Amino acid sequence: MNTNIETFKYDNRIVRAFGIMTVIWGIVGMLVGLLAAAELFFPGANLNLQFITFGRIRPLHTNAIIFAFVGNGMFMGIYYSLQRLCKARMFSDFLSWFNFWGWQAIIVSAAVTLPLGFTTSKEYAELEWPIKIAITIVWVAFAINLFGTIIKRREKHIYVAIWFYIATAVTVAVLHLTNSMCMPWGWLKSYSMYAGVQDALVQWWYGHNAVAFFLTTPYLGLMYYFLPKAAGRPIFSYRLSIIHFWALIFLYIWAGPHHLLYTALPDWAQSLGMVFSLMLIAPSWGGMLNGLLTLRGAWDKVRQDPVLKFMVVAVTAYGMSTLEGPLMSIKMVNSLTHYTDWTIAHVHGGGMGWNGFLTFSMLYYLFPRLYKTQLWSTKLANYHFWIGLLGMVFYIIPIYVAGATEALMWKQFNKDGFLQYPNFLESIVQVVPMFRLREIGGLLYFLGVLLMAYNLYRTAKAGQFEPDTEAQAPALEKVSEQSHGTYGWHRVLEGKPLFFTALAVVSVLIGGMVEIIPMFLIQSNVPTIASVKPYTPLEVLGRDIYIREGCLGCHSQMIRPFRSETERYGEYSKAGEFVYDHPFLWGSERKGPDLAREGGKYPDAWHFNHMDDPRATSPGSIMPRYSWLLTQKMETDTLPARLIALRRLGVPYPVGFENGPAQKDLSAQADKIVANLKVGSVTTDSDKEIIALIAYLQRLGTDIKSAPVAAAK
Amino acid sequence: MEEKIICSMNSAGMCGVISICIFVAFFTGMLLWAFAKKKNYLDKMSSLPLDGGETNATDKIQS
Repeated sequence: MNTNIETFKYDNRIVRAFGIMTVIWGIVGMLVGLLAAAELFFPGANLNLQFITFGRIRPLHTNAIIFAFVGNGMFMGIYYSLQRLCKARMFSDFLSWFNFWGWQAIIVSAAVTLPLGFTTSKEYAELEWPIKIAITIVWVAFAINLFGTIIKRREKHIYVAIWFYIATAVTVAVLHLTNSMCMPWGWLKSYSMYAGVQDALVQWWYGHNAVAFFLTTPYLGLMYYFLPKAAGRPIFSYRLSIIHFWALIFLYIWAGPHHLLYTALPDWAQSLGMVFSLMLIAPSWGGMLNGLLTLRGAWDKVRQDPVLKFMVVAVTAYGMSTLEGPLMSIKMVNSLTHYTDWTIAHVHGGGMGWNGFLTFSMLYYLFPRLYKTQLWSTKLANYHFWIGLLGMVFYIIPIYVAGATEALMWKQFNKDGFLQYPNFLESIVQVVPMFRLREIGGLLYFLGVLLMAYNLYRTAKAGQFEPDTEAQAPALEKVSEQSHGTYGWHRVLEGKPLFFTALAVVSVLIGGMVEIIPMFLIQSNVPTIASVKPYTPLEVLGRDIYIREGCLGCHSQMIRPFRSETERYGEYSKAGEFVYDHPFLWGSERKGPDLAREGGKYPDAWHFNHMDDPRATSPGSIMPRYSWLLTQKMETDTLPARLIALRRLGVPYPVGFENGPAQKDLSAQADKIVANLKVGSVTTDSDKEIIALIAYLQRLGTDIKSAPVAAAK
Repeated sequence: MEEKIICSMNSAGMCGVISICIFVAFFTGMLLWAFAKKKNYLDKMSSLPLDGGETNATDKIQS
């Protein structure tokens, strides 16, 4: 036995810093969410400012909550628990603070660029390429600090929470790098390297696993640490936690295509996504039960301790979300829920319940300990608990009702075989009261967070911060053959964190590779359509405006092969139609109608008037006004850079096209639209942004109308 | 070369067969691993978070 006891200090400063920013960004992210939610029943809530329209602040809300609120919460919990589980201070204080300041700088840059319209449009990966590079650097710093701490640990065994942290560090890196591949055409603008179907698969492989490996695996690690700690009891079954870990990371990575069911993605990929999603129920519920059963014999504590109360709801919400998610991945169920508000309710159940409540429980657990005092008011924390819980209920239930209403109205036929509600707006008008109720739920939840912020502030004021906590542990002995015999051969593997990491990476990569590689190599997955041509220069500009304004936040461009959709929107979408789409713009949500076949449906003047005031052409519409498009000039000086970038990505623009011919083409098409507008009694100049947007909208879905023959090579 | 091999196979059939093989192998290995663990190891590991090595009593603080 090693008697060489070492004394060392845990770094609490970094934990406190991440903790404070968790609260601050939580408040900011939720405020933006409240504004976005208000704009859905009061379109004028943006005060006609382009920077805070729904399309631009929706990604700001999702990024703020995921990467700022949950991200800081994750780092706070990891930096606290990792040191104690390894019985070692963090590997490098410099890297800890580099991680902290780098992450805050990234969040601030997101808060500036997203409202300005700099976005890739890829959900949860909207930040443009310089910020993506910064994310990579900061993440690598975090990973070095994580592995460095594990290597210098004084505890022989690597606890399961650390496995989850390792899986998070390596998988987020792989996902981020793969999905961020792009071709820059300006300091803050780029086009995705992938196109159409392939871009969609990579994006949702990323998007789904961002939920898995940013919102789930690190938080599961935190649950495995903080739940036993708060309950004062060992974890119910360590064996179950091992199965939970390996099964979860192996299965999760395959499930991405469930975001693309009934789209133009090949059927085999959709089926894989559905089957693996269903299998995910088993490990997820194993983890949930492991958490809840840890509390057996300690339920009396749950009645008194707000930390445990928040944890119980968090773990239960995890269980509910991970049951609902797989059920929504069943193709038949998905045909109803997809594009509706049901998905919004689902993600908020997970976000508010699992991530939110677990974060609150960690904050209530950590602040008294960091400040060596009692929580200022347990009563206030209990109020927070109940207000937060009520807020969740008031948020989620109306949105479930809205989702079900939308799904049923979109699919309803009358007895003569026509759509019962042919005008999409009818469904939106029906659910607007639910949007109002949702705002009340969100406000309650937000109020709870304010109570928590005050409580934590008073706790900090009452106590004295302990920057370093002294600890003692024997130095780590070298692993001997004898100790292998004591604990089994697993010890060999576990004792080598890098080998363990490699195994985890292989488990994670298998699913991604089996899905993504064939999609790129087998041409029959994307049957080409001869009549599909690259966008004209004016349409390219218009498409970039569509991306800038975040139109895909409300409008999909993917008609699924259901009669209810083909009757409403036209011919269902084909994979070959998107081969020049860098990035793809299929969307995931319909607050307005699908636009995949929008081209030619309405005259140019209708689009002009609709953008100026949507309620003038569509009474009851919840779309904001886009009046600035009528006055702002389109950015033609960057056209050559855009066309060159697209050509490098494989779009067949002739060499030299960008030097003259493109500008002539642009002017001719713009003049034609101006002439069309005149016919509709609208007078404007040909250099306005609205002209480019109209050109793009009128192009949508028109290619296959000219020659509908698809030739699979 | 890899491209030729992959392209020469039916994508759906190939993915199905590969997926099921990987799946069965992975889960068999994982379950064997989990159930081969010894009780003293499992007991020690499940209690690991409870010992933080702190020399003072911060863990006794009630929230």
